[in-house]
Amino acid sequence: MDESTHEGPPSRRAFLSHSLTAGAGLAALGSAGPGVAEARAVVADPPETLPISLTVNGRRRTLRVDPRTSLLDTLRKDLGLTGPKKGCGQGACGACTVLVDGGRILSCLTFAVMFAGTEVTTVEGLADGDRLHPVQQAFIDHDGFQCGFCTSGQVVSAVGLLGENPRPSREEIRELMSGNICRCAAYPNIVDAVESAAKGR
Amino acid sequence: MTVAIGEPVRRVEARDKVTGGARYTEDVRAADTAYAALVGSAISAGRVRSIDARQAERAPGVLTVITHTNRPDFAAQPPTPYTAEGRMPLADDRIHYAGQYIAVVVAETQEQADHAATLVQADYQRTSPVPTLDAALPAAYIPRQNGLVRFPSEYRRGHAETALAASPVRLEQEYRTATLSHAPMEPSSTLAYWEGDRLTIYDSSQAVHTHRALVATAFGLPEDRVRMISSFVGGGFGNKSFAWPHVFIAPMAARVVRRPVRVTISRKQVFTGTGHMAATVQAVRLGADREGRLRALIHDSTNQTSFIDDRQEGAAGTTPYMYAIPDVYARMRVAKVSTGTGGAMRTPGDSAGAFALESALDELAYKIGMDPVELRRRNHADTDPVSGRPWSGKRLLACYEQAAERFGWDRRKAEPGSMRDGDDLVGYGMAGGQRMEHQSRARATVHLSDEGTAVIRSSTVEIGGGGLTTLSQVAAEGLGLPVGAVTFEHGDTDLPASSPTFGSLTSGSAGSAVRLAAQDALRAAIELAVGDRRSPLHGADPDDVVAHESGLRLRDRPDRAESYRELLRRNRVNSLRGDGDFQPAGETAGYAMATFGAHFTEVRINRHLPRVRVVRHVAAFSIGRVLNARTARNQAQGGIIMRLGAALMESQRPDPVSGRFISPALTDYHVPVNADIGEVDVLFVGEPDTNANPLGARGLGEISAVGICASVANAVYHATGRRVRSLPITPDKLL
Repeated sequence: MDESTHEGPPSRRAFLSHSLTAGAGLAALGSAGPGVAEARAVVADPPETLPISLTVNGRRRTLRVDPRTSLLDTLRKDLGLTGPKKGCGQGACGACTVLVDGGRILSCLTFAVMFAGTEVTTVEGLADGDRLHPVQQAFIDHDGFQCGFCTSGQVVSAVGLLGENPRPSREEIRELMSGNICRCAAYPNIVDAVESAAKGR
Repeated sequence: MTVAIGEPVRRVEARDKVTGGARYTEDVRAADTAYAALVGSAISAGRVRSIDARQAERAPGVLTVITHTNRPDFAAQPPTPYTAEGRMPLADDRIHYAGQYIAVVVAETQEQADHAATLVQADYQRTSPVPTLDAALPAAYIPRQNGLVRFPSEYRRGHAETALAASPVRLEQEYRTATLSHAPMEPSSTLAYWEGDRLTIYDSSQAVHTHRALVATAFGLPEDRVRMISSFVGGGFGNKSFAWPHVFIAPMAARVVRRPVRVTISRKQVFTGTGHMAATVQAVRLGADREGRLRALIHDSTNQTSFIDDRQEGAAGTTPYMYAIPDVYARMRVAKVSTGTGGAMRTPGDSAGAFALESALDELAYKIGMDPVELRRRNHADTDPVSGRPWSGKRLLACYEQAAERFGWDRRKAEPGSMRDGDDLVGYGMAGGQRMEHQSRARATVHLSDEGTAVIRSSTVEIGGGGLTTLSQVAAEGLGLPVGAVTFEHGDTDLPASSPTFGSLTSGSAGSAVRLAAQDALRAAIELAVGDRRSPLHGADPDDVVAHESGLRLRDRPDRAESYRELLRRNRVNSLRGDGDFQPAGETAGYAMATFGAHFTEVRINRHLPRVRVVRHVAAFSIGRVLNARTARNQAQGGIIMRLGAALMESQRPDPVSGRFISPALTDYHVPVNADIGEVDVLFVGEPDTNANPLGARGLGEISAVGICASVANAVYHATGRRVRSLPITPDKLL
C-alpha cells in the first residue's frame, strides 16, 4: 500500500456494499480482491438495514441489521449476548466461536444477514438452567483459563469438537483446539478439561 | 483453624467465566453511547500537512471528527511512567511512528465510525524515519533519569575491565532479543461519560487508582470527581499497566459530543498503540577461573525507544544481584527508532536480560567443561551482592536440585549433538532466573457480617492471575471462614486503593492488605466477645481467642466457642469492619527481596527440517508461600509458555525502510497455540517468607517468564552444537 494513502479498517465492507448493489450476493466474500478497487466509487452510501430471523440459544429472534454487521457484533450489540468476544475481528483468535447448526464458526468473520433461518448457539446457551454443560464444568475443575476472555470461544469450540469427534486423543485435542488462542496459555489445563469432558460423556 | 491459604480452591469467578457472564469493559453498555474510530498515521516520521475530514463528516451517523486542529486542550500532561506516552494524543502535527492517532471519528454506531474513518484524508510531509535498532545504534545513549527511567542505568562494583583482563578464561558475545507484543486477547476498551464535571470511565485497566489520577490531571479535575472501573481484564501482561492515548481520547470525545463515548481499539492498534517489549542488543563479557568461579562480568544492553520517550528496557538491571562476582559493570542505553514507545511487558528487563546472561553462562560451562548447574552452584549469591543484606527466603539451590531431579538431568550426555532419537536431535538445556521483588502500598477492608460471611473491598483488578481467589482465601483463613463465605468487590476507585495489578504486586502487597484487614476485623470480633457477658468468651484474654469454623473459640478450650452469627446478632451488630493498610518496608527492611526460578528444557529437532520443538519443560520457583496451588500452577505454566513463544516464534519486526511493524495481526505475529505446547511441569520449593511481608508470599506472574529463552537456546546448542544468540530461534537460523 502506498504510504501516502490513508489507513483504516479493511475495505471488505465497501466491497460488500458494492456487491449488494450489483446483486452479486453475499457468497462472494471470499473473492474480495478485484472488487476492492471498484468499490471506492460506490462507497459513499452505506446500505440500509435488512430484516433477518434466526434462532439463538433456542429462542426465535427477528431483527433488522446493518448488512455490514458481523454475526458477532449482532449477537453482542443487538441481542445482548456478550459471551462471545472480539479478540481480533480477523478470524485469527477464536474468541468469537459460536455454533451454527451444531458446527463451530468464527462469528467475527461472517455477516449476520447470512444466517437467516439457522440455529445459533453461544456460550450462554450451553448450560441447562443452573446445570452447567459438562465442558463448562470441566473447564472449572481443570482451571482451563486465567483471564477468561478467550474462554467463551474455547468452551464453545470444545463442545463443537466433541460433536465432531467424541473420543479425541490428547494429540487431537491439541490440534483441534489450536484455532482458539489463549494468551494466558492455560493450554495444558484446556487439554485436560476437554479430555475429561470427553471421557465423562 | 480453617486452612484456606495454599489450597487448590477453584476460582471464585469461574462460573461467570465459563458461562459468558463475566463482564469485561467492552461488555458494559451505557444509554445513548456514541462510538469512536481512531485513524492512524500512514507514515512513521514527519508532519501532518493537512487533514481533509469533510467527506467523513458528511458520512451517515457521524457526529464529529477531532484532529490536532480542533481538539479541546488538555489541562496538563500527566506524569510518566504510568502515562504511557510523554505526549498527549493529537497534541500537534508531528508524527513519531506509524499508526500514531491523527484523527478521531465519532458516530452513532461503530460501523458508521469505522466507515467514516476510511474517508479521512491526510496529506503528509515526510521526513526520514529511523527504521530499526541497528540503524539507531550508533546514536545510543544513557537515558536521563526521569519518570520513565526509574531504575539506574549504570551499576559498578570493583573494576570489571581489569578483573576481566586478569581472568584465565574469558568470553565475549552479543545477544539479541526481538521486539515482542503482549497481544492480550482483549483489545483495550474505554467507555467514558460526563455528568457535569464528574467523569466515569470504564477502562480495561490493570490499575484503576493509578490511572484515575492521570486522567484527573489531564482534565484538570480533583481525583474524587473521576471514577474508574475495571471489572475483569482480558489479559494484561503489562499491556494495560499504562494509560495509552485512547484512555484520554474517550473522555475528550465524550466532552465534545456530550454523550457517552466508547473507544475500542482494533487488533492492529493493540500492536501499534499499546506498547511492546523493545528489542535489545546486549554484549556480555565474562571472566572466570578454570574452576568456574566468576571473576568479572560486564553486561551492556541497548534497547530501542521512541522519538517521544526514553524508555529503558532494564535488561541488565538484575544482573548485579544474581551471582557472587567481585567485579561487575552493567549499563543500559537507549536508541531512538521511529516506533511507538515501548511498555512494560512480562517480564520487563529480566526476560531479555536473562536470555543474554544465562546463555553466556552456558557457553562458559561448555568452554571449561563443567555441568551448567554446577557452574551456577559455584557462583551462587548467598547474600545480596549489591547491598550485602541477607535474602528474604532464597531457595534457588533447591530449585536447581528439585527441577533437575524431576527433569532427569542426570541422563544428559555432556557432548553437544550426542543425544539422538531416530531423526530427532535431542537437547537438554537449563537456565536460572531472578526477579527483584517490589512492593506497593495497598489498602483493603474486610466486613464481617452477622450472616457469618465476609466482604473484601479493594480496587485490585482480576487480570487472570487469580487474585480474587487467592485474596478470598487469605480473608477466609484470617477469619476462620469457608472460602465460599467470602465475596469480593473489586476493580473500582470507589473502593479502598489496592496495589496496581502489575509488577507481581498482588500476592505480597494486596494480599498483605487483605490479611491485615481480616486480622483487624477478627480483633474487633474478639473485643466484642470478651466484653460481652453473654458470650462464652467473656473475660478471656483476647490473645487466647482464635478464629475457628465461622466463629471464635479459646485456643486451648474448644468448648468455649461461638459463631460470628450468634455474637453479632446478639449484639445487634450488622457487620464489623476491619481495615488493612500495607506499607512497604522498602530499603529499611533489612532483607533483600527477590523471586527465583530454575528451568530445564528438552528440545527435539528433526535433522532434515530444523524446527525446534519443546517437548518437555520443568521449572521450579522460589516465591515464598504459594497462595493457591491450582491457580499458581496455571499462572506459572502460562508464563513459561508465553516465553516459549519468544524463544521460538514471536517477533514484531520493523519494516527496514519505514520502521512500521510488519506483522501487527495475530495472523502474522505468531503466539503459541495449543498444538505448539508439550509437557510443562512446575514445582514450588518455597515456604512462608514472613521477612518479606506479613503474608509470607512473593509474586509469581513475572518470575514465571524469566530464564526460559536461555534454557531453550541452551538445549538447542546441546542438540545441535549451534549457538543461536538472536531470538526467536526459527528454523532458518539452524539450517
